[in-house]
This record gives sequence, C-alpha cells and structure tokens, in this order.
Amino acid sequence: MTPPLAATYRAEPARPREVLDALHATIVGQDDVLQALVLALIAGGHVLLEGAPGVAKTLACRALAAAVAGTFRRVQFTPDLLPSDIVGTRIFDQKTGEFATVLGPLFANVVLADEINRAPAKVQSALLEGMQERRVTIGPQTHDLPAPFVVLATMNPFDAEGTYALPLAQLDRFLAKVVVQYPSREEERTIVDRFGAGEPPLRANVASLEDVLRWQREAHGVHVDEKVRDYAIDLVRATRGAELVAHGASPRAALALVQLARARAYLGDRAFATPDDVRDLAPAVLRHRISYDDRIAIAGGDPEDVVRRIVASVPAP
Amino acid sequence: MARARRSLTAALAAALLAAIPAAPAWALRALHVDALSMRADRAQVAVGEAFHLAIHVHVREKLSTLDELVLPDVGTMQTLGDERHVSVSPSGTDVVETLTLEPTQSGTFTFAGAYLDAIDARTGKPSRFSANSVRVVVAQPAPRLGEALWSAVRLLITVLLWALVVAAAIAAVILLIRFRRRPRPIADVAPPVVPAPRPAPRSPRDAVAEALRAYRDSPANGSLLRLRGALFAAAGASEGATLSDALARTNDAALRDALVAAEHTAFGPSHIRDASSDALIRTTEGWLR
Repeated sequence: MTPPLAATYRAEPARPREVLDALHATIVGQDDVLQALVLALIAGGHVLLEGAPGVAKTLACRALAAAVAGTFRRVQFTPDLLPSDIVGTRIFDQKTGEFATVLGPLFANVVLADEINRAPAKVQSALLEGMQERRVTIGPQTHDLPAPFVVLATMNPFDAEGTYALPLAQLDRFLAKVVVQYPSREEERTIVDRFGAGEPPLRANVASLEDVLRWQREAHGVHVDEKVRDYAIDLVRATRGAELVAHGASPRAALALVQLARARAYLGDRAFATPDDVRDLAPAVLRHRISYDDRIAIAGGDPEDVVRRIVASVPAP
Repeated sequence: MARARRSLTAALAAALLAAIPAAPAWALRALHVDALSMRADRAQVAVGEAFHLAIHVHVREKLSTLDELVLPDVGTMQTLGDERHVSVSPSGTDVVETLTLEPTQSGTFTFAGAYLDAIDARTGKPSRFSANSVRVVVAQPAPRLGEALWSAVRLLITVLLWALVVAAAIAAVILLIRFRRRPRPIADVAPPVVPAPRPAPRSPRDAVAEALRAYRDSPANGSLLRLRGALFAAAGASEGATLSDALARTNDAALRDALVAAEHTAFGPSHIRDASSDALIRTTEGWLR
C-alpha cells in the first residue's frame, strides 16, 4: 500500500530540534546527553560517553541513528579485538581468484564504540585515526567513511581492571565528553512504565542524512562575536596552570568550544552564539582534555570540581 | 795712594754701619757666627698643607738664648707653630728654630733669609749675618671627589632653599592679597554648620536610564556594554554573569525583554544589529516606564 502523501512529503526542511524531540520520546531524562549527541551531529564531531552500565547509552545512540535515517553499527571493544575487526580487511575469494575488501563496522553513519578502553592501543589508534581522517586504508585502497559520520564511544568508570586508558592525545579527538548520570526516581519510574512491556519502537526518519549535512554547513555560518570567541579562549587558557591540573587543554579545545557553541546556537534557532553557550558547554569540552594532578586521586577529589572552579574563575563578557 | 785706600775703607765702614738700623752698637754681642742657614722640608706644597721652615745658627760661644736671631717674614702663610731648640756643646751653641707654616694661597713664595746682628768677634766690627733665602712653590689643592660632590650638594641645597624661600614669599603675598579681597563677615557670629547634601542613592533604574541616554547619543560598543551591564545589575546579576544568570534572578517581564534584546545587540551579527539595537532601546524604555 502506498503511504499517504502527507507522510512522505515535507514542506518544511527538518530542524535539529525535531531530532532532539525524537530522542526525548525514547529516552527518559538524560537531557544533557541527548543534547550533546545532537550537537555532535551538527558540529560533525565525536562524543565520549562515560557512565554506569544500563543508563541508556546504547539506546540513545541507536535512537540517534534511527532519527536521522542513518546506518548504525555497534562494536564491543574487547582485549582480543584487532584493528581489522573495526576497519575491515581483504579476503581471498576462491571463486573469482581475487582479493575482495570487506568493510568493517566503522563504515556507518553512527558508530557505537562500546567500552572503548577495553581494547588495546592498536585498535584504539585505528578507530581514532578513522575519526580524525574520516577515511581508512585497507590494503592498497583508501576508503572514505560515510557522511555524516559520528563515533559515540562509551567508557565504564567502575571496572578499571583490564582496561587500557586512552592517552590524552587520543582523548583530545573527542569533541566532548559527557558524563551520563543515573536517572532521578521519577525518571526511573517512567523508564519502568515505558519499557516494562518491551522496548518501544524508535522514532525513525525524523530527518535525513542530507538534512544533517545541511545543518553542518549552516552551523558554520553561525556568528560568533569576538567577545564570545575570546571568552572561549580565556576558558581554555585558564586550564593551564590551574590548581590541581598537571597539563591544561590544547588549542583544539578552543576550536571545539567555538564549534559546539555554534551548534548549540543553531539548535536553538539563533544566528549567533552567546556566552551562555560557551559556559554551558565548557565542562563537556574541557574535562577529558585536562591531565589532573595526582593529588586528586590521592585525596579522593573530584575532577569535575576542578573543571567547575576553572569555569567559574573566568568572567563572562 | 795708601791714603786714598784708607779713606775708601773708612767710607765703606761708615756706610755699613749706617745700613745696620736698629740695634745700637752697645747692645750687640760679640759672637763667632760659624753658620746661619735656612731650609724648608718641602719645596712644593699645596694650599692648606703644612710644612716646616728650619733656621740653624751655630756660634762658638756658649749661650742659653740667642735673641738676636730675626726670623723671616712669612707673609700670608699661617704660622701653626714656632719651636726653638738651643743645645750647647764644647764647640759652641746650636740654635734651631722650626716654624710650622700653612700656605693659604697659591703661588711662589721666597722667604728672605733669617739674620742676626752682632759684633763679629773675629773682626770686632758690627755685622749682620744672613741666612740663605728659601723658595717654596704653593699649588692649588687637588679637588677630591667627595669634596667636589659635597660642594655640588651644598650648592644645590642652597639653590633649593633659596627657591623655597622665594616660593614661600610669593605664596604668602598671594594669600595676603586674597585674604584682603575676601569680604569680612558682618558679625562675629559663627555661621551655622550646614551638612553637605548627601547624594541621593542611585537606583538601578537611574543607572539604566543614564546608560540608555549614553547609548542613544553614541551607540558604540562601549556604551552598549555599559547599558547591558546596567540591565544585568538591575536584574541582580553580578559582573561576569551570563544572560541565563540574569534571567534566573528576575521575573520582571519587561526587564527580561530588555536583557534578551541587549544580548542580541551585543553578540548578534552586524546585519541584525540595527533591528536589535532598536529593540533594545524600545524594551529598555518600556522597562523604565
């Protein structure tokens, strides 16, 4: 049966707000996480999600892929994973007598790298290279990754045994790191009600991949006043030499902060970024780019407090 | 011929005696003067430096004093000391007179030789025995760094003191003139002490109104930020806060509109700035009303 015209034809182009609404229709709470996923999609960056198991990290990624009609792949990172397991490999086809390329799960619009810190450095490096270059080389051929391409990597903060900590230089490749919190009691009750009878269907095709690419182009045109830009730079510079910080954030952090501020303004249908955009996004941009002093671990301090203090120390314009 | 020679000798003797002024012949002692000399311990000295001038006389007679010895004139030099030492020995008497002198001015000084008048015991005739003259060169003192510096400081202090005195005198004259011009009080009753009016406390609205006037007159970036800051303060937000902080502190709808308009004008792109600037003025006026 042919679907009704109204269901396939859209007079108005899709807005990113609709994707966010679609995610909210599936996921209960987690406003910051869902917004970070949409912002990363608009900004064309990758997100590191840190949270306990069972807080809907994977579901959120699947919902995002479904909302933008993109392909979704999930890779469970384990210690015995090989780079070819994610990138792809060449196999010998006995029928044709030639080598054929089999693309790995990295070739998807939304890739969920689950527990990225459980794979050895070589696999992490292959993933991060693909994230940065947006292309991979398999044998003699180089293959472009699909566009849009978003990697959502998760880390479990509790089971540190048998993990390979990501070096700062590789963490720097993630546009933002979002800490996924436990839901509130009210939210948890809603989760039980909503998912008690099985997982509800995801809201798919809210926007198209072309829409996402258009958003990315248009977000580049969002105006960032020099005062806002300077504020972002001041925030990043404040991490260097701050108390309990061994190494501050790199200049890439300032780029990421401005990039995300543009995306947030675009998501809010604003033609310009504001100091609020920069300040609200600063913790997500800075927290994984800072090398903390050992005294925090010894004294049992919270690195989030360090980031909060740094952000609070810089006056907004 | 012999007669003429005797006449000449007599004339010379008469002339010599006439040349010996004060000492009468009856006061002169007969002395065998073997030596009469004078010397200075330094041939060249500077002004202010002391030196010694010594006169030595040796006579064969045994004497306790030699009052006949006349010392040379020391001119402008200051005499710091005069010591006479008389020593008697089998060969006679030695008299050493030592003058300690300090030159007060530069130049070349020639001390005429000391002399003594006595009857020369060898000839039995009155005679003047003279010592040799002594020449001493007196130089200007070498200026020392400390003294030069001190002199400069003294000069400077002197100039400053004089300048101070002159300035004080001028100030005193000016004060005097002003005091004379000021009308004298009619009565000696002290005027009532009126406390200075305390400035009325500026309300946030006053600050916003003032900033709005400045922004209207000159809608530049500085006046815009001032107006935005005044609106933030009116909302109760501190400096360095963001729009969300300010909005969280006020429920006044008119003020919230003005705050949002200020954000648009401050950070928006140039092509919307005119419209947002109009909106800022309109909404701020609305809040002020």
